[in-house]
Amino acid sequence: MVWSIDYHSGVPVYLQVVQQVQSAVASGVLREGDQLPSVRALAEQLRVNRNTIARAYGELEHAGALENRQGSGCFVRASATPLRKAVRTERLTGAVDSLIVQAHTLQVSDDDLRGLLDERLTEFDARRKSEE
Amino acid sequence: MAIIDVQKLHVSYGRAEAVHGLSLTVEPGRCHALFGRNGAGKTTTLKALLGLVPVTSGSVTLFGLDLLRHEREVKSKLAYVPDAPGFYPWMTVRDALDYAASFRPGWKTDVEQHLLERFELDPKAPTSSLSKGQRTQLALTSAVSADPELLILDEPTSGLDPLVRRQFLEAVISTFQDRDPQKKSLLVSTHLITEFEGVVDEFTLVDRGRDVLTIEADTARASYRRIRGWFEGDAPSSTPLTTLTPPTREGRMLELVVDREADAARAWLTSAGAQRVEAEALSLEEIFLVAAAR
Repeated sequence: MVWSIDYHSGVPVYLQVVQQVQSAVASGVLREGDQLPSVRALAEQLRVNRNTIARAYGELEHAGALENRQGSGCFVRASATPLRKAVRTERLTGAVDSLIVQAHTLQVSDDDLRGLLDERLTEFDARRKSEE
Repeated sequence: MAIIDVQKLHVSYGRAEAVHGLSLTVEPGRCHALFGRNGAGKTTTLKALLGLVPVTSGSVTLFGLDLLRHEREVKSKLAYVPDAPGFYPWMTVRDALDYAASFRPGWKTDVEQHLLERFELDPKAPTSSLSKGQRTQLALTSAVSADPELLILDEPTSGLDPLVRRQFLEAVISTFQDRDPQKKSLLVSTHLITEFEGVVDEFTLVDRGRDVLTIEADTARASYRRIRGWFEGDAPSSTPLTTLTPPTREGRMLELVVDREADAARAWLTSAGAQRVEAEALSLEEIFLVAAAR
């Protein structure tokens, strides 16, 4: 997978790593059991602080997306999440709200937004299938 | 406990560089950068931390110990790579490392071997035959092999070619924090900010011998924004907003650089008639340029 850090995004560096793993898993680029680079290797490759990568992996492990097997490395876990459905919904609500606000600012109608959401879900689905 | 605690440091020596009341705190495991123009007082500050220049007033505490009273103990826990490392010219690379190791009970021969191979340094080469890049590589090998808790780098990569600069940084990332990353602290003075962008946890802007701004890198990148608005006709020539630099206008486009006021800037541009508004975070180098110009 291709990693990159964008210092003009204003997003904390560790969070960019978290989001890249999450989106790679969502799009099927990373699948259950895949091994991630070691903290040291990824830090060196991206030329970022090792503590930053360690923090990103820590967050992903905490969220149930990664499994740290002592001595052998970090592996992608099955899509299982330890969070209850209510918590998951609550976490997503914020992101959906900001999407709605943005759509409103850009004067995209509710129907067009729903259409776009469907379109993107189909696209991600297709990408996942083509990776399998 | 802070690894470095400098309070109201004053150093007067020579005339070109001096420090006037600089304070600096670095917690364990952090990478702290000093950014500043030439002559701002960065090197003098580092030299004061190393006991290489007399402190006129103020306190320098390292690892919780007063530098002047516990100089030997403090120095056994830190290592330093100067911008122009010097070695005894009659020594070979091997001799220079053995000499450095003789002062360091915790010397890591595996780290030394790894770095010699990584940098392709010939142990039999006389130090007098080394290029500037190789001298810096040898100085880093020596500093990291000593397994210090605190590594101090003074403009380590200036004057080196891009490949050597990249190798240097990768070697620091790969080897320095290998054992106990929570206890390994790094203090780097550099004007090659872009290169260290991802490594720096926090930085202090030094200007005229004072600390003018200390901030976390992520916080800085999240606060400073360049907001651009495009108008149908000519862009307005002024704004009631407080901006960090004077607004720049190019035909239909108006650019505002703000700190934490991104939402207000967007709202104002929209209300002033901008049809499209885009925002971008500033890199650390751009933040330095904005702050240094003020």
